[in-house]
Amino acid sequence: MFSLKPPRPTFKSYLLPPAPPPQDEDRSIPEPKIKKLDPVLLPGEIVVNEVNFVRKCIATDTSQYDLWGKLICSNFKISFITDDPMPFQKFHYTNLLLGEHDVPLTCIEQIVTVNDNKRKQKILGPNQKLKFNPTELIIYCKDFRIVRFRFDEAGPESAKKVCLAIAHYSQPTDLQLLFAFEYVGEKYHNTAKNINGIDSGSGGIPGGNSQKTPLFETFSDWDREIKRTGASEWRVCSINEGYMISTCLPEYFVVPSSLADQDLKLYSHSVFGRRMPLWCWNHSNGSALIRMALIKDVLQQKKIDQRICTAITKSHPQRSDVYKSDLDKNLPSIQEIQAAFVKLKQLCVDEPYEETEVKWLSSLENTRWLEYVRAFLKYSAELVYVLESKHLSVILREEEGRDLSCFVASLIQVMLDPHFRTITGFQSLIQKEWVMAGYRFLDRCNHLNRSAKESPLFLLFLDSIWQLLEQYPAAFEFSETYLMLLYDSTRISLFGTFLFNSPHQRVKQSTEFAISKNIQLGDEKGLKFPSVWDWSLQFAAKDRTLFNNPLYIGKSAPCVQNGSVKSFKRTKKNYRTISFCVFQGFLRLCHTCIFNE
Amino acid sequence: MEKSSSCESLGSQPAAARPPSVDSLSSASTSHSDHSAHIKSASVISSDSISTSADNFSPDLRVLRETNKLAEMEEPPLLPGENIKDMAKDVTYICPFTGAVRGTLTVTNYRLYFKSMERDPPFVLDASLGVISRVEKIGGASSRGENSYGLETVCKDIRNLRFAHKPEGRTRRSIFENLMKYAFPVSNNLPLFAFEYKEVFSENGWKLYDPLLEYRRQVLSWIHPESQATITRCSQPMVGVSGKRSKEDEKYLQAIMDSNAQSHKIFIFDARPSVNAVANKAKGGGYESEDAYQNAELVFLDIHNIHVMRESLRKLKEIVYPNIEETHWLSNLESTHWLEHIKLILAGALRIADKVESGKTSVVVHCSDGWDRTAQLTSLAMLMLDGYYRTIRGFEILVEKEWLSFGHRFQLRIGHGDKNHADADRSPVFLQFIDCVWQMTRQFPTAFEFNEYFLITILDHLYSCLFGTFLCSSEQQRGKENLLKRTVSLWSYINSQLEDFTNPLYVSYSNHVLYPVASMRHLELWVGYYIRWNPRMKPQEPIHSRYKELLAKRAELQKKVEELQREISSRSSSSSERAGSPAQCATPVQTVV
Repeated sequence: MFSLKPPRPTFKSYLLPPAPPPQDEDRSIPEPKIKKLDPVLLPGEIVVNEVNFVRKCIATDTSQYDLWGKLICSNFKISFITDDPMPFQKFHYTNLLLGEHDVPLTCIEQIVTVNDNKRKQKILGPNQKLKFNPTELIIYCKDFRIVRFRFDEAGPESAKKVCLAIAHYSQPTDLQLLFAFEYVGEKYHNTAKNINGIDSGSGGIPGGNSQKTPLFETFSDWDREIKRTGASEWRVCSINEGYMISTCLPEYFVVPSSLADQDLKLYSHSVFGRRMPLWCWNHSNGSALIRMALIKDVLQQKKIDQRICTAITKSHPQRSDVYKSDLDKNLPSIQEIQAAFVKLKQLCVDEPYEETEVKWLSSLENTRWLEYVRAFLKYSAELVYVLESKHLSVILREEEGRDLSCFVASLIQVMLDPHFRTITGFQSLIQKEWVMAGYRFLDRCNHLNRSAKESPLFLLFLDSIWQLLEQYPAAFEFSETYLMLLYDSTRISLFGTFLFNSPHQRVKQSTEFAISKNIQLGDEKGLKFPSVWDWSLQFAAKDRTLFNNPLYIGKSAPCVQNGSVKSFKRTKKNYRTISFCVFQGFLRLCHTCIFNE
Repeated sequence: MEKSSSCESLGSQPAAARPPSVDSLSSASTSHSDHSAHIKSASVISSDSISTSADNFSPDLRVLRETNKLAEMEEPPLLPGENIKDMAKDVTYICPFTGAVRGTLTVTNYRLYFKSMERDPPFVLDASLGVISRVEKIGGASSRGENSYGLETVCKDIRNLRFAHKPEGRTRRSIFENLMKYAFPVSNNLPLFAFEYKEVFSENGWKLYDPLLEYRRQVLSWIHPESQATITRCSQPMVGVSGKRSKEDEKYLQAIMDSNAQSHKIFIFDARPSVNAVANKAKGGGYESEDAYQNAELVFLDIHNIHVMRESLRKLKEIVYPNIEETHWLSNLESTHWLEHIKLILAGALRIADKVESGKTSVVVHCSDGWDRTAQLTSLAMLMLDGYYRTIRGFEILVEKEWLSFGHRFQLRIGHGDKNHADADRSPVFLQFIDCVWQMTRQFPTAFEFNEYFLITILDHLYSCLFGTFLCSSEQQRGKENLLKRTVSLWSYINSQLEDFTNPLYVSYSNHVLYPVASMRHLELWVGYYIRWNPRMKPQEPIHSRYKELLAKRAELQKKVEELQREISSRSSSSSERAGSPAQCATPVQTVV
């Protein structure tokens, strides 16, 4: 419900572009200057610590652009509040949740405190002591930003306290300490007297589009997807209601009509994570795309595999065979992708700029990031060929079926189905193949800053979509800005969308939290966190128009399940050249950060 | 354009520019003595041809055509004045991308044309002879192996074309000779095709640029409308090794400084690397010493000379044509240094623009000669500073002024119709300029009125010799050749079909100064130009037609806005007639209209 409400009247960004000089009539109500330095807080947000007379460094080589202001640490963000305007006008949009100088705590990667005089430097972990008073604080962000504050004129004790608070709050010991819980709890308390809590589970309304994003949390969303793709031999299966079978699958998913619930339950014991075959999508020629974890029970392996494949074949109108694709053997692992990302980040933030400049292209090549982007595009395009031209159903197999499968399954669908190139369609795809399919956003995004399982697979996916957008500038309803802001949203721990390892985790954790906070859930399964897809929470309608790609041509056919063929052929032919797109995509994704410094 | 049927005809002669023509062979006095018979007759017969393409054929060729329906279908679409000089069937084009294909090869006085009906849609290759820089024979009559006997042409537009002839067909020799003759007319005392081309367009591009109106002073390029700071160009000062000074030059700089009241300093940008400038001083072409030029500051921009640039482009061609090594693409690209050169040119222009805009200082730009790197720098700086040059007409005037009028030696750098392909004076100076412009359009997608196709078209006709625009090496030569009367301007063609070249995203903010980021992080290889022959690199969507749709849509919406504004004004005027009514508060709207 609150998603559709206009922003509260008190909610105003304190970092709007410099205000025009006050007119005469305005002088009658002079605002005390100090009031402007108050932080803007969200419901449930509290200031933990603050320090005045802080200098924010803008350029590395000169202090002439430095800004003076107050640094605060809340349970949601660090905020630098200043009267000084930004020296370089950079942003074409304003985030309603975050000011220009704010960094959400979940975006922080490393906190370094420095004392110039004592020549000391310390990386601050959680609950650590600091034996010196810092003169400088450097914050390395997950989005490549590096933010530097100087405390030369600030109170040494309060500076130290702020640093420790940031270290503490950005590395919470428990998921329930993330701000989203506090925020949503506050919302529930405030609206308890209204209708059943809040209805933010809806997909929200993207810019200029009146459609809601299906979240695939319900039976009917899956049923509609079956009908939309004409998958008549498939059915929605409810055996996982209440997560009774698997805690990493959605409650509802789609299986071959010929597979009985009883059999599925039986098979599930032999599969990693009890993940039964998940239907993703149907081609108009009847071929289906399915994803599945590996069968760990060696004795049963062959038999179960056979049964499942037979059922998939039965669901194909031409009774075509099933093509089995082993993702683990054909694609880089999530560890390799993480390693590439670390190198890439190093390259992007490396100083001095001029030295990295000379060897930029070969250094970029050496990170292997683009090579991996290409590997995914190429492999997906090959599977597209199998589905499209060979009329075979494809089953994506991966040990746990929760990482590479998300990527490949969604890429294939973007290539084949123009519906997923619209904003609503793309969002529903992310819901279907990532959020509901149990991609470990919590671990992979490393929201708690303590996971060894960090990997930027989702970013790599967005990069590959950006590459497609470069090659097909008129095929996507959304723009580069949209992709960039979508990625930024994974770093804001206010939305439920990218916060959890599985839908079950959301329900379990938020139910616990609700009980501890005395929140009445009623019929609801866990708390309803705000959705990223409710873009009005972050951007005003005017800014949301930047999501739209002016070159977009519209879905080629009125009937959604068709119209895919034409676009695909070109995709397939061209996958080899993808690596030529000289990077940009990623740089632009993190471009606001790099050039912000 | 035969878009659907062609694999490699992109950038060839556009269909709309098919003119009537006058035959060229009257001046073919010193042609090779060993012409094959039917070519000689062709040259006689076609001397007064007018309209139908059949008239352009010699009797021999006409017979050939009638007996071979296949060949008829494989004929080129002729410009009315163009005539066929040679035709060979059963020639194999060895396409590096799609494999060997057999068809008919035709040489006219304007183009090389190959068409094969073997494929569906038919395979077409269409290249103007002007792009050819070298023709070579491959293999002898005794060569063994399939397709080992034939011809290879090396082109200026980043491709090579290879044909295999049947040794027993005896077609290679005459094709070779005709190519050598018509691709290099200057070496054969023949006129360039531009002199045969008499198409009349709705606009005369030669009238676009009026030097008398634009000239203020011979070498003054641009003056800042507010600060009066100027960009001035010249060639290197006459400063020799003995510290010889040039009094005139020093006075001239003082005068430039005096005319800008806002600054007492002047910046001299020397495009060369400082090492080279020191070396040149020994030869009498040095640089300004700061003692002699008071209040002047000298900055070297480290842009390399034409030989380095030529070599860099050669390396670039090596890695993009025909095959691309995927795994080391980026490091290979880096090793060509092409983007690095582009970066330095852009960075140099940026410094100049910044000095003028932010520093309000006048600048003088020069290099060794003053018409290569200088032209690149001044024209790019002006493009950054002045939105007028980012319109289609403005850009055309910029090229006319900074490149043609100030004497960039196109004939020397491109070598139009000259068979001396190894000439050390050839260099891709203008290509680099256009590449820099393209980089700017990538960084500012709404700041330019023209689109990518406009830039590619300019480059295609830089070599094609269809238009007179890029012929000759100086204003004086152009006058002598009477180009304005005897040839058609490229701008006539472009300005007669502007909708093809217009960027639908263009927004006219003429006062915006553009500061492109001259960093490897932001520069890209211009794939749409350098790798366009590779079918895999073709745009995957007909984005060009999308542009036209958007332009139509924009025009429609603009019309609607005007209608609505008219409606508002008529309503508010009618309501204001009812004096004293509350509707009077609507008056501010009128001021909007």
